[in-house]
Order: sequence, then C-alpha cells, then structure tokens
Amino acid sequence: MRQESVRRIISLCLLFLLIAVFGLTSSYFLAPKNIYAFLRDASVTGILTVGVSFVIITAGIDLSTGALTALCAMLMANFLYYQPGVPIPVLCIVSILVGILGGLLNGFVVTRLKLPDFIATLATQGIFRGLTMFFAIRESGRIRNQVIKNRAFLAFSGKFGFGLFYVTVVFAVMVIIGQLLLKKTKIGVYTYATGSNRKSADLSGIPADRIKRFAFVLSGFCCGLAAIFLLARTGAATVDLGTGLEFDVIAAVVVGGCAFSGGRGDVVGSMIGALFMAILTNGIYKYNLGSEYHVIIKGVVIIIMVLFDSVYQYWFRSRTRSADKRARNGKAVVE
Amino acid sequence: MNKNSRSQFLKSFQKPLILLAVMLVMVILQPQIFPTLNNMLSILYAVSIYGTMICGMIYAVLLGGIDLSVGPVAALSGAVTVLTIIAMGKTGASVIVGVFLGLLAGSAVGLVNGLIISYFNVPAFLITLSTQSIISGVAQLTTGNHTIAAMEPASFTYIGSGRLLGVPVPIYIMGIMMLLTYIILNKTVFGQRVYAVGGNRQAAQLSGVAVKRVSTMCYVLSSLMAALSGIVLASMNQQAIAKAATGYENDVLTAIVVGGTSLAGGEGSIQGALFGALLVGVLNNGMRLMGVPSTYHTLVKGIIIICAVAMDVYAKNKNSGLQRTRLTGWMKRAGKGKAS
Amino acid sequence: MNGQVLLRAENIHKSFSGVQVLKGVNLEIRAGEVHALMGENGAGKSTLIKIIMGVYPKDSGDIWVQGEKVEINSRQDAQRLGLAVIYQELSLIPTLTVMQNILLGQETQKAGLLDRRAMMRRVQELMDRFDLHLDPNEVVENLSIAQQQTVEILKSLTVDAPLIIMDEPTASLSASESERLFDIIDRLRSRGVGILYITHRLEEVRLLADRLTVLRDGENVAVVEKKDYDPQKIIRMMIGKEITTAADRVEMKRPSGPVGLSVRNLCRKGVFRDISFDAHHGEILGIGGLVGSGRTEVLRAIFGADRYDSGEITFDGKKIASTVSGNILKGFGLIPEDRRAQGFIPLQSIRKNVALTNYDLLSGALGLIRSGQESAMCDRAIRDLDIRPNLPSMPVINLSGGNQQKVVVGKWMARDLKVLLVDEPTAGIDVGVKEAIYQILESLAASGVIVIVVSSDLQELLRVSTRILVMREGRIFKEFCEGMITQEDILTAASGIDSSMEVSDE
Repeated sequence: MRQESVRRIISLCLLFLLIAVFGLTSSYFLAPKNIYAFLRDASVTGILTVGVSFVIITAGIDLSTGALTALCAMLMANFLYYQPGVPIPVLCIVSILVGILGGLLNGFVVTRLKLPDFIATLATQGIFRGLTMFFAIRESGRIRNQVIKNRAFLAFSGKFGFGLFYVTVVFAVMVIIGQLLLKKTKIGVYTYATGSNRKSADLSGIPADRIKRFAFVLSGFCCGLAAIFLLARTGAATVDLGTGLEFDVIAAVVVGGCAFSGGRGDVVGSMIGALFMAILTNGIYKYNLGSEYHVIIKGVVIIIMVLFDSVYQYWFRSRTRSADKRARNGKAVVE
Repeated sequence: MNKNSRSQFLKSFQKPLILLAVMLVMVILQPQIFPTLNNMLSILYAVSIYGTMICGMIYAVLLGGIDLSVGPVAALSGAVTVLTIIAMGKTGASVIVGVFLGLLAGSAVGLVNGLIISYFNVPAFLITLSTQSIISGVAQLTTGNHTIAAMEPASFTYIGSGRLLGVPVPIYIMGIMMLLTYIILNKTVFGQRVYAVGGNRQAAQLSGVAVKRVSTMCYVLSSLMAALSGIVLASMNQQAIAKAATGYENDVLTAIVVGGTSLAGGEGSIQGALFGALLVGVLNNGMRLMGVPSTYHTLVKGIIIICAVAMDVYAKNKNSGLQRTRLTGWMKRAGKGKAS
Repeated sequence: MNGQVLLRAENIHKSFSGVQVLKGVNLEIRAGEVHALMGENGAGKSTLIKIIMGVYPKDSGDIWVQGEKVEINSRQDAQRLGLAVIYQELSLIPTLTVMQNILLGQETQKAGLLDRRAMMRRVQELMDRFDLHLDPNEVVENLSIAQQQTVEILKSLTVDAPLIIMDEPTASLSASESERLFDIIDRLRSRGVGILYITHRLEEVRLLADRLTVLRDGENVAVVEKKDYDPQKIIRMMIGKEITTAADRVEMKRPSGPVGLSVRNLCRKGVFRDISFDAHHGEILGIGGLVGSGRTEVLRAIFGADRYDSGEITFDGKKIASTVSGNILKGFGLIPEDRRAQGFIPLQSIRKNVALTNYDLLSGALGLIRSGQESAMCDRAIRDLDIRPNLPSMPVINLSGGNQQKVVVGKWMARDLKVLLVDEPTAGIDVGVKEAIYQILESLAASGVIVIVVSSDLQELLRVSTRILVMREGRIFKEFCEGMITQEDILTAASGIDSSMEVSDE
C-alpha cells in the first residue's frame, strides 16, 4: 500500500498548504462561518465525487454528471411547480430514481454497446442536457426559471444551529458509505480489480461489466442526491444548471489521487480533493479574481496532477522493479 | 470483380447514399423551403465553421486521440485577431497581422496539448478537456468579458460575411481547407505517418517514424484549424466574444465519427468527415425548418453519436471475424496445396 | 494422497481449420509428482494445456480428474476441478494486495462486508501449509516477478487436490530466483500437489521431474521415468528424425566474404552480455537458442529499437546509428518477431505498407509523395516477392500470414538494404510460403546483404543458415561454423550441453 499512502500524504499536504496559505493571508479565512461555508461549497461536488470515484477506479470516466444532476433538478422543479402538494420525500425519491436511470443508461451504452467511456458519457451528457431543456417549465412557450417557493424543500439548503450545513452532513455520510463499500466489500475489491487489470479480472471470473454498470449507477445515484441540495441552494432550476460540474468533480478526483489508468485512489482521497478545490475557489473569489481565473486554475490543477501522477507512477515502478527488466512481457511460450 | 473490391466499391457509396436519403426525407417534409439554392447555401454556411475545425481535429482522431479544446481555441483566436486589428488601427495591414497572431495563438495551444499528450503518455481527452477550460478562461480574460465589435475594416469582415460569385467566403475557406487536408492525408509523407501511428504505433516506431513528433504535430494542426474557424466566425458575427464556438467540438466529433473515422485511430478519411458534416448540417437545418427548438439538438446529436460509434464498434467486431474467414477463404481459393 | 492419479487425458484429438494439431495424445499426472512436458515448437503442448483448462474444446478423447470423467468447457470448470495454470503473463491484479489476489473471487464475508481477519487467517494457513511466505499486505505491483509468481502459485493452492500447470516459469527469473522456485516446487510436491511443468530446459527436467512426457508433431513419443533420464535421447525424441535425409545434416561454412557487421562486447544488464560476433557479406548468420536467451533483444539493440549499456557495433568499419530512423537510412532493416503487433499497419494497403520506410526515396518538395513512384515500388515488391493477391490497395490485415510477411520484407527490399535482421521469419506461415521466404533471404545474402536470422524453429535454422551461433541465458554459448550439424546439435547447445567438452553452467 505504500504508494497509496504516499499519495495520500501528498494530497493532504496540498490541502494543508492551501489552508495555511489562505489562513495566514486572510484573517477571515479560518473563521467558523467561512469554514462551514466552504464545506458547504465542497459538498455538492463532493457528493458527486463519491460515485465518480468508483467510475474512475474502474478505469472509466463519467462526463455526464453535471447534465444528469440538472435533469434531476429540473424534474423536481416540475413537480414543485405543477404539483405543489407533493410530499418532499417523494420528490427526493424521484430525483434519485432519475439519477439511477441515467446511470443505467451510461452503463448500458458502455458495457453493451461497447462505446468508450468518454464518448458514451459525452453523448449522454448531450442527451441529459437536451432532456433538461425539454422539461424546462414554460409559460406561453418561453422558458421560465421558476423560482421555488416551497419552503419545506428550500429547507434542504439550511444548516444546524452551530453553523454546519445539512448538505455537508450528507456529504460526510456518503463519503463514509462510499469508502466502506470500496474498501470493505467484495464489490470494492472487484472495482479495483476491474480497473487495475481488466484482463486478469476477467480471467479470475470477476463480472467486470456488472461492476462498471454498478459504478455508473452509483454515479447516477449521487447525481440524484446532489440535485436535491443543488436545487435547494440555487432556488431555481435553470436550463444550464450544473454546466461544468463534471469538470469540478474530475478535478477533485484527480487531485485526490484516483488515477485515470484505474485501480488506484479512493473516496476519502476524492473528498480531500473536493475540499481542496472548494477552498481554492473560495480563495480565488476572496482575492477578487473573477470566474475566468477559476476555470483557468481548475484546468491547470488537473493537468499538473495528471502529469504528476503519471511521472510519479513511472518513477515508483522503475524503483521497485529494476531487477526484473528481463521479463518478456506477455510472451507466452509458443508450443 | 472479386468479392473484396466489390464490397469496398459498395462501401464507398454508402455515405453519399445515406446523405441523399436524409435529404430526400427533408425535401418531402419541407418541399417549399428545403430544396432551394438559398437553403443549400445556408446549410453550407452553417457547416463551414465546424467544417473547418474538422480539418484539424481529424488528425488527432486518426491518431487515436481527440481534441476537446477546439471551441475555446476558436474563440481565443478570434479575440486575438480582432483585438490586434483594433490595436493597430483597423488598417489592411492590421488584418494580416491580426490573422497571423490569431493563428499563432491557436497553434501555441495545440503545441502545448501535443507536447503533453505525446511525451507524457496521458489520456488526450483529459488534457484537452482541461485545456478547454483553461483557454475559455483565457479567452474571457482577453476579451475582458465584453463583446468586441469587429465591423471594420472591410477586408476583415469580407472573410466571414463576404461573397464570391454569390457563394459566401467561409464556404470557400472550408473547401480549401478540406482539399488541403485531403492532400496532406493522402499525398504527403506526413499524412501516411499519421495513419501509421494511429494504425499500429509499434510498427510505426520500428519503421523509423518519429511517433512523438508526428503526434505533437497533429494537435498543432487541430488547434490551427480551430483558430482559423474562430477568425472566420468572428468575422461572420462581426464580433469577438469569449463564448464563441462553445460546444462546437460536439458537432465536429459527430461529423468525424459519423463519417467513418474510428476513435481508435488509423482509419478514416476527410471525405467521410465531410459527409458527416453535411449530414449534421442537413439535420440541423431540417430540424430548424420544422420548428424543432434548438434546445433539442443536443439530444438528437447525442443519440446520433451513440448510434454512429456503436455501429462503428459493431462493424469492427464483425469485421475482425470476417477477416479471418476471408483469410481462409483466400487460402482455399489461391490454390490447393500451395496455399498463399 | 501421493501416487493417486490427479489428471488423465486419453486419446485427445484436436484440429484447427483442417490442420491436425493433436493426434491422440495421452497424459497422466499423479499427486505429488512433478511431471515435465517437453516438445519442440508446434508439438502441441500449448494446445493440450488450453484444452485441459477449458479454453478450447477437444475434438475427441476423454479426460478424468481424480478418477471422475469430466467435460471441461470453461475456465471456471477447470478451476472448480482444481486445475490451475500459471502463464508467463501473470494474471494478477497489480494494485491489490497479495492477500486480495490470492482470495480473488473467493472472498470470505460476514454480513456483506469482507471479513478481513478470516481472510488473513486463510491466507496465513495457506502460507504455513506450503511453507510459502510473503507479506499478505504488500501490493502485488511492488513485488518481483518471482514473488508475483509465488502469489499465483498460492492462488492456485486455494482449492483441494490441486494440479498446477506451469508454463516456462523460469523464463523471466534469475538463477537464484529459479532455485527458490525449485525449492517451492519441491515443497509442493511433498505436500501432494501435482505439477505439470512445461519447459525447454533439460537441466530443469533433470533437477525436478519425476516423469517426463515428450510430444512431437501432436503425438506422444514417450513417457520417461526419472531413472531413465538421458538428455541426448530426449533431444532426439523431441526432434524425432532419423538422420537420413540430406536436409537433416547441414554443412556449416566458414564465411568467405569480407566482414560487414561487427559487434563487440554488447551488454545490457540483465538481458545479454559479452555479445561479440562478426557477420560477413554473403553468409546467412543464424542465431539459435531457447526462448528467453536474449536473441530478440540483441537484434533490437543492433537495430536501435532497444538501448544497450555498453559495447560497440560497427558496419563497414563505421559506428552505426543509435536510432531506428538513423539505422534505416544506413540500410538496416528489422523483421520483428510479432508480425501482427509490430510488423505492419493492419488497415493500410500493401502499397502504403511497402512505402512506409521509404519515403525518403519517394517524396519531393513539401513532403508530397510521388505517387507514381510509390505505385511502381509496390508493383515491384509484389512482383519480386510474389505477393498474393496482386491488389496494391488491399489492407494488409486481409492477407494470409505468409503474404503479410512478404509485405514486411518488401518494404526493406525496396531500399538499398545493407543489413537485414530477421526475427522468426516464418512463424505461423504455411509450408509453401516458408520456402519462398527462405529463397528470398538466400538471394539477398547472395547479393551482398548481411542477413542475420533468429529462429526457434530448428529445421528452419538449418535450412537457412550458413553459420549458426547459439545463445544461452544472454551469452553466446557456441558457434557452429564448420562440419555437418543436425537439429540435435543446436538443441543440445541451446540446452547448455556442450558435447565437445565439459562446460559448467553458472
């Protein structure tokens, strides 16, 4: 596990470094109110990272999370608008179900139609976004960003007395569940196996396709869950809700240590990554840099971390296997 | 004509037939408007921007990679060009310098993409996705988030809004670029090397091909074409905005994939991509004429991508089985006993 | 219980597209024995193993496992019956731990969660029982190949009454690691495990095997008991021919032409060392040796595709280039070992494949290809090499293996070729085309091209070479440059037995 622990230490160091930098340069940064604030900011993305971590560990990718979250939110908004009396739990179930359905679609396209992950989820991103537009609430033919007035629903964006937001609790719970699933169940082991060496996994009788589908469904579930809190926070389901969200999720996951080659990283790491990105965003805005800098920095962070992971893995591997260069890889003896 | 060349002959007619079929449907649905010259030109006009982008991205896809940053690169290049023109007093010379700098800016992005992807062995989609984000931010910074008007000089607006013999200039530009790409891919050493690297990287390496250099160059070309499209777009709209060409990579990708270029690399043609582009253009146009709101276009296109790639994957799997039977068939036919 | 028959295969027949690969093969393996399986390339070993493991179905014949007649139709079937195979490309999950890999697919659970403690106990028990100890929490990718092999072994031991098939296990191991493996095998044997050990290495058979089955051309030749072990006899069994026909005894010739390629003290740590030889104009230098002896690596190093640590390579007195493209310009060519993966661009046409290395000759300004010259080059290649079908635009993937290889050769012949390095010239190619390719090589040598051929096919090596070097474990072991030699001689040398004098293996 040593490579993993070193990687974990690196992401923690990055996090603490960032906190230190901001904490020292701003008196306001470490105030409890601000801490709860950036925890809340991290939470929606953070919930999504739980599911996406699974997908990435299987050596896959999900680019449709933003659009799927928007779709779930839009459908909830529809309910709230056309059926104001609907009980809140039903709304939540609807959102989660839609998320799961979206995940099933992704899983189907990838495992049955055999499309490569990124093109499949790029396409489903378009489909979900299109459906979001389709379900947008219209009055006299024009889209209205209907503001939600249902106070019971809006309560989801609330917080406890001492300041901790509800969504952060949900985030924490998801992280715990996700990490448990990943590290302590058969599904988790199989997830790592599928991403680490698909061929060996197949040979060992692991249902790799089923694992991939599960990962996508989990990702969809997280979209449905996150949509509830996102909608409560923004107060209105706009057609471009969640645009670019998948990118934030990917940045978080990459910083946190999940490699795109698969088989590495975990949910806790992604949580650290989500916190890192949220604090970074928080800090950028505090320094009054506009949203332009935000997207630039996000992109740069991803590239740096991906390069770092690539170089690091290479270095680590050459260090421990220097004695084995004689291995003729893959050459089974011809009879 | 033996079986193999016969099937190849049929295959080369497949795409134009599909296009013709779709156009026929459109004619039936919209007999008044669709088949007019004006409409045809407006289809080509709409296609011309991402059609030019296709001429660049196809290199990346033929390698087995992808370039998702073409949209923001186009926007950035348009902005750089327009700002240069304005800064230099909107003279004729300023247009030349502006265009040059715009193209340079785009190519620089491609160079960065190419170097990182080729020399660090990291997934292309991830890097270009990140670059997409970075450059969109840079574009916003460059334009200061304003809309920069570009209504003069005439030499600039001619690029996007002018007409030559009644046909809009951007269509010529796309045509020239497609021709150029055809020549490069089919008639130059570099083109062959692109197909070689995409087809079998190891074999290419053992044949002396500088794989990393070829790969880097492909990404430079991709961004260069995106830059050109961006300049044309800015001229078309007579303004430069940071959000220009947002989402265009989807249309480009759809066209390339529908046109028969495999995402795995090594297979495909610019002619196929042209048909793909025309198909997408016809569909867009048809949907618009029928009053389908543009909001559903992403939905339809998403489905089209899935169908196109699924068919490609299916055909490939079927084909590899086919190769084997074709092989043994040849062995039997080439002469009993003395199998070739 | 030792001595009990674990596996019995009787009268196994198998053919692929009309070619009989197994013609009634028998095999019997007992518990507590190490049973070696030997035979030349093409003897049918790999096919037999795949049938036992359920990868291929057999055409006819019966298999009994522990006395019960069974049908093995899938890998799962084989696993359930206690059969396991360890190939060279290990099937482990690199980022999981030793424990997780050993119990992969058979995890112990408690209330839906993995019961780590119970799993640890199982693994510890396993390790104790067979006296094979590794840190269960170490991640597999950090282990050496030898250790990873041990993990694979442990993985196969999780079932009762196991039969472990090992396919050339020492090919990637150092001498000391091999010794440790033999130790392990000894221990396994004493605990009742049956081991089917596939190898080319006679000394290993002498060390380990209780019995040995020799296959040749898909048939059993003999089952040899340990006490009857005689290396020369075994080699003769594998090759099988009586020394009667002219083709079986070939005369090696001392080279008469001038030295072309000169290799001095070529070394690459862990791969090959002290490689020194001269290749002369007009001769075909053959390099024989067992799999893993370093032959391919030497060729690739000369070509510039792989690096080397020290040594000097000169051609016509001048140092050669260090890159592939540099050497190609100097007139070098390489026909790679794995044609499909490295030899040609599958979806590209014959014309494009022939042209790929020759654009310095075919292009003009701006890199534009002179298409007329390109076609002419392709037509010439098709004509000279008799490539069929005569369709320059046909994708090479659609050609038969022999014609594919001709395309690979063709692209080099279109140049002013000075040195042609050939690795397994006719692997997977039909007999008729083999001869054609040999003639091509001979005419190249006759015209002054230096031809070096690496081959595992002894008959081929004899057919084509005028002088033969035999490599063993990264060094040149023996040179055959005069007198009549046979396949046996080559195999004997490759196995490290120097019949002319006592040589100690290190």
